[in-house]
Amino acid sequence: MAVEVRIPTVFRKFTDGNSTVSLEAGTIADLVDQLEAAHPGMREQLLASDGQLHRFVNVYVNDEDARYLDKLDTKVADGDTVSLLPSVAGG
Amino acid sequence: MELTISRLLANDMVEHCLQGRPHEACGLLASHEGAVIQVFRMTNASGSPVRYSLDPKEQFAVYKRIEDSGWELGGVFHSHTHTEAYPSPTDVRMASEDVPYVIVSLAQEPASVRAFRIIKENWADSEGQIEEIPVVIDG
Repeated sequence: MAVEVRIPTVFRKFTDGNSTVSLEAGTIADLVDQLEAAHPGMREQLLASDGQLHRFVNVYVNDEDARYLDKLDTKVADGDTVSLLPSVAGG
Repeated sequence: MELTISRLLANDMVEHCLQGRPHEACGLLASHEGAVIQVFRMTNASGSPVRYSLDPKEQFAVYKRIEDSGWELGGVFHSHTHTEAYPSPTDVRMASEDVPYVIVSLAQEPASVRAFRIIKENWADSEGQIEEIPVVIDG
């Protein structure tokens, strides 16, 4: 078992078009590192210049928003699903 | 590439936009085998006549529903209450999904519906290229 990461359309150019990626990770920070290792360029998409989660990316661990858990330190385990959601907005 | 949608679903989308006035309305489209299969009416969390944003919780629930149904995110739609159906600079700056952005203009009757792809090198870029996608309304 591994952590399944759901990839939004805008990041699929980094994952060969795949909408899900499976990897081993213990925290969201770890997961970002693993994503970067397997799909270079992903870290820059997910983290802001201060090293925190980009304010326009929502990260859900199963059904919980990681921003309201421990942000990058939120723990993940085998069998969890992590969903990356870009904010959708405009004018 | 084109955006194919039934008359019924296109009407549903326009109706949601009309009901949202004076604020902008927004929603998501699910597609399957190249055609829009469902319209999701979403809350405009910005509650504004000139801005829209999806509520992240609602968005997450709909993305899950789309994924679990074996569909795909087919588009994002929103209304322009008084301007043409063309992406505003804010639409380009905030564009964050690589799917058609459908704009419903309520500036005239009947409403006009147009779709665009907003192409950016990096999703956080404030500028991008706008390409129109023909909207094919079936039925």
